Amino acid sequence: MSLPTKRSATTTATTSSSSTSATANFPPMKKAKSQAVSACSSLDPSCNKNGLHHFIPSTAADNDVVFDSSSMTLDDDPKLDDRSPPPAANLSRKKATPPQPAKKLVIKLVKAKPTLPAHFEVDTWAKLQSAIKAIFLKQPDSCDLEKLYQAVNDLCLHKMGGNLYQRIEKECEAHISSVLQSLVGQSPDLVVFLSLVERCWQDLCDQMLMIRGIALYLDRTYVKQTPNVRSLWDMGLHLFRKHLALSPEVEHKTVTGLLRMIERERLGESVDRTLLNHLLKMFTALGIYAESFERPFLDCTSEFYAAEGMKYMQQSDVPDYLKHVEMRLHEEHERCLLYLDASTRKPLIATAERQLLERHISAILDKGFMMLMDGHRTEDLKRMYSLFLRVNALESLRQALSSYIRRAGQGIIMDEEKDKDMVSSLLEFKASLDTIWEESFSKNEAFCNTIKDAFEHLINLRQNRPAELIAKFLDEKLRAGNKGTSEEELEGTLDKVLVLFRFIQGKDVFEAFYKKDLAKRLLLGKSASIDAEKSMISKLKTECGSQFTNKLEGMFKDIELSKEINESFKQSSQARTKLPSGIEMSVHVLTTGYWPTYPPMDVRLPHELNVYQDIFKEFYLSKYSGRRLMWQNSLGHCVLKAEFLKGKKELAVSLFQTVVLMLFNDAQKLSFQDIKDATSIEDKELRRTLQSLACGKVRVLQKVNAIQMKETVEENTSTTERVFQDRQYQVDAAIVRIMKTRKVLSHTLLITELFQQLKFPIKPADLKKRIESLIDREYLERDKSNPQIYNYLA
Amino acid sequence: MRRSAARKSGQSNSIAPITSSAADLFRSASSKASSKEMERIDNLFYSYANISSGLIDPEGIENLCSDMEVDHTDVRILMLAWKMKAEKQGYFTLEEWRRGLKALRADTVNKLKKALPELEKEVKRPSNFVDFYAYSFRYCLTEEKQKSIDIESICQLLDLVLGSHFRAQVDYFIEYLKIQNDYKVINMDQWMGFYHFCTEISFSDLSNYDPELAWPLILDNFVEWMQEKRT
Repeated sequence: MSLPTKRSATTTATTSSSSTSATANFPPMKKAKSQAVSACSSLDPSCNKNGLHHFIPSTAADNDVVFDSSSMTLDDDPKLDDRSPPPAANLSRKKATPPQPAKKLVIKLVKAKPTLPAHFEVDTWAKLQSAIKAIFLKQPDSCDLEKLYQAVNDLCLHKMGGNLYQRIEKECEAHISSVLQSLVGQSPDLVVFLSLVERCWQDLCDQMLMIRGIALYLDRTYVKQTPNVRSLWDMGLHLFRKHLALSPEVEHKTVTGLLRMIERERLGESVDRTLLNHLLKMFTALGIYAESFERPFLDCTSEFYAAEGMKYMQQSDVPDYLKHVEMRLHEEHERCLLYLDASTRKPLIATAERQLLERHISAILDKGFMMLMDGHRTEDLKRMYSLFLRVNALESLRQALSSYIRRAGQGIIMDEEKDKDMVSSLLEFKASLDTIWEESFSKNEAFCNTIKDAFEHLINLRQNRPAELIAKFLDEKLRAGNKGTSEEELEGTLDKVLVLFRFIQGKDVFEAFYKKDLAKRLLLGKSASIDAEKSMISKLKTECGSQFTNKLEGMFKDIELSKEINESFKQSSQARTKLPSGIEMSVHVLTTGYWPTYPPMDVRLPHELNVYQDIFKEFYLSKYSGRRLMWQNSLGHCVLKAEFLKGKKELAVSLFQTVVLMLFNDAQKLSFQDIKDATSIEDKELRRTLQSLACGKVRVLQKVNAIQMKETVEENTSTTERVFQDRQYQVDAAIVRIMKTRKVLSHTLLITELFQQLKFPIKPADLKKRIESLIDREYLERDKSNPQIYNYLA
Repeated sequence: MRRSAARKSGQSNSIAPITSSAADLFRSASSKASSKEMERIDNLFYSYANISSGLIDPEGIENLCSDMEVDHTDVRILMLAWKMKAEKQGYFTLEEWRRGLKALRADTVNKLKKALPELEKEVKRPSNFVDFYAYSFRYCLTEEKQKSIDIESICQLLDLVLGSHFRAQVDYFIEYLKIQNDYKVINMDQWMGFYHFCTEISFSDLSNYDPELAWPLILDNFVEWMQEKRT
C-alpha cells in the first residue's frame, strides 16, 4: 500500500504537464526504449542484475509499461540510493538526454503521507454527475471541460475508475431508458415516429461522444486494463440495445416504418433517404441490423416482387417486362449504395432476381422468345440474355433457341412450294441468327454450337432435296449473266453457301448435282468466272478432301486440254487440207468418269459436220492412239448465220436445233414425221427441240440454246437415281468389307459399324434391305442356330 | 386309263417275283422278309409310276391320293414327300419312294394310309418341324436356280403347313401379303423369318417385337401394318 501513494505523489508532482504528456510523450518514450535496448546489449557483460531486471520487461512490454518505466526512473532514484550504486546502464541512459548532473539530484521523502480530501470521491462524482446530467438535458454546465477531465483523471489515479464507470453507466442507463420509454406511444405517423427515433439516436450519439470526451482517461486506463468492460461508447450502444429490446413496440414500429418507407419508394414515391440511411446505420451500430431489419426486409422484398412479377407478367409484353426487371434490379442496387448496408446487396438482388426472373423463365420464353427472334430485336434479346445469365437460366434460353430454329427452319425446308427460295431463305435465316448471336448472346460458345446443331438437324429433315437445291443455287450464282455482282460479293456468297453445305449429310447428292451443272457451264461456256469456279472447287476441297473434288478438277483439266487440242488441230495438216469450208468446229474431249454420264442420243448430222467429226477423230487418234472417241451430240451447240427478211441474224442454238433448222434450207414445210425421219432424233427429245424453236416467246432467237442449260425432269431424276444407285453399291461394299474381316457378326453390331462407315444418311430399313439382298446373293447367310447372327460366305 | 390298268396288273402280279427271292437260300429270314418288303414297295412304286419316265408323276400321285382317300393337296402328302426327301415337286423317284416307304414300314396302300397319322405326329415334333417347314419351301422351287416363290403360292403353302399351328398369325400375314406392293416374291430367308416370328413373338400384342433386330424387313413392315391396323 505504500508504493502506490509514493507513486501518486511523484506523478502528481509532474501532472502539470502530464495531461498532455500522456500522448505527447509517447514518441520520445519509444526512442528511450530502443536506446535502452542497445545500451543494455552493449553493456551486457557488465550489466548487473538490477539493470537487467528493469530493462528486459521494458523492451518486451507495450507502451503503457514503458510509460511506467519512465516514471520509474524518477521513482526509482530514491530506491537506487537505498540499494546499490547506480548501474552503468542508467548512467548511459542519462547521457542520451541532455547532460544532467545526475548525482546531484536528491529527492527527499516527505515525512507525512499525502492524503485525499475527505469527500474526494463523492465531490468529484457530484461534479461529473451534474455535467453528465447537463449533457443529457442539453444544458450548459458551469464546470469547464478541462476540470471535468481532470476530475476523471484524479478518480482513475486513485483507483476509483471502477466506481466511476459504474456511476456513469447508471446515469446513462437511466437516461437511455427514459428516452426510449418516451418513444412508446409516440406519433402513429410512421415517418414522424422514425424522425423521433432518429433524433433520439442522434442526440444520444452526440451525448455519448461528449461523455466519452470527458471520461477519456477512464476509457484509456480502467476500461483497457479491466477485462470484460465495454468502452463508454460501446456501453452506450449496449444500453440502447438493451432498452430497445425492453420496449419491443419501439423496435417493431421502427422496422415497420422502415419497411413501409422502402415499399413506398418502390411504388414510386420519394422518401427521405437520409432518414433511412441514419436509422439503418443505427441498426448496424447496434449490431441488430441482420436480425431485426434485414430478415424482415428480405421477406418483404420477396413478397413485393412475387406479387409484382405475377402482375406484370400478365399485364405487359415480354420486352417491357424485361426492361422493368432490369430497372428494378438497378434500383435495388442503388438502394444498397444509398442506405442499405452493403452486406444486404447480394441477398437482396438474389431475392429480386428469384421473384422477378427465375420463377418466370419458362413463361418469359414461351410468351416472348419467338416474337423477339422473329422481330430481330437484338437489344431486347441482349437484355434477356444478360438477365438470364444472372439467374443461371442460359440453358433454358439455349434450348428455346434450339427449338426456335428447328421450328422456324422447318417452314423453310419442308414447304415444297417454297423450294425455289429455300437456299436464299436459309442463308438469310442463318445470317440473322449470326447477328443475334453476336449482338445479343455475346458470342456464347454453347449458343454457337446450338445454332450449328439445330441447322444441321433441320437441313437434313428432308432428304436430298436441300443438297440438290444448294447445288442449284450455286449454279445460278456461278452462271454467266449475273450482272451487278462483283467478284467479292460472289466470293462472299460462296462462303455463306459453303456453311450450309457443311451441314448437309448427303454430300453425294450435292456433288452429283453440282457436277451436272458444272458440266453444263463448262461445256456451253456459260460460266461467269473461271476464277470463281476454281475458288469454289478449292473450298470444297478444303471442306471434304481431294477425293471429293478429284473428278471436278478433272473436268477443268479436260477443258484446258481441249483448248490445246483444238489449237493444235487447227495447225495440223489434216485440218488445213481436208476440212470443209464455211464451218468452224471446236471439240471438248471429256474423260469418261470425270463427267456425268449422258445417255447416247442418235442424230443424223449434216454431211459437213460428219466430215468434220471424222477428220478430228483421225487427228486425235493419231495423237493419242488407243483411245476411243464417242460423240455426245446432245451436248453440242452451234452458232448459225441466218438471213431473215429483216436482215442477217446469228443464232446460238443447240446441235439438235441446228440439225432441225438446217432441214429448212431445202424445204418450206415439213411434217413432224418428216423431221423425225430426216434427223432420227428420238421422239421426246425432238418434241422438246421443236417446242423451243417454235413456241418460245420470240421464235428462233439468239438465246434459244438456253434449252440446253435448262434441267429436264429426266435429268433430275436420273441424277438422283444415280446417287442412290451409288449409295447402294457403297452399302453393299461396306457390308461385305466388314463381314469379310469379321466373318461372323451380329445384326446389331453390323448395323452400328455400317453407320460409322457410311458418310451419307441412311435408314436402318435400307441397310436391312441391302443385307437381305446379300443373303439372297449368297454373300452372307443367317446363322442356322441364331437368326440374329450373319456368317460371311467366302 | 392305261396307267390304272398297269396298276391293277401290278397288284395282281404281286406274288410273281417270289421265285427270284426264294432262290437265295442263305438269306436270313429277316432279310428275306425285308427283301420281300422291298419288292412289295417297288411293285407299289411301279403301280403308280409312269412307264416312260420311270417316275411317279403328278398323275400318279393323284391316283395314290385317291387310293389312300386323301386329298392331293392335303398336308400329309407334303409330309410324305418330306419323308421321302422328294426333290422335285409332283414327282417321286424310285429311290425316294423306297426311302420313304421303308421308313414308314409300309408296302401296301393300306399300310401307307395307316402310317399317315404317325407321320403327322413325327413331323409335328419341333425338331422335325423346322426341317419340314424349310423343306416345304424348297419343295416348291420348281425351276432351275429359282430362289423365291410368288406371293400367291406362298399364301397357299403357309396355310397348308403353318395354318394348323399358328392360325391367327398365318391369316394376318396372308392378308398383309395380299395387299402390300413391296414384295412380289418371298425368299427362303423371309420364309424362315416368319416361322421364327410365329414361335418367338407374342401374338397379337407383338410386345416383344423389336425392329432393331435382324428380322427381315418384310416382317418389320408387317408388324407396322398390324400396329396401324389396330389403332
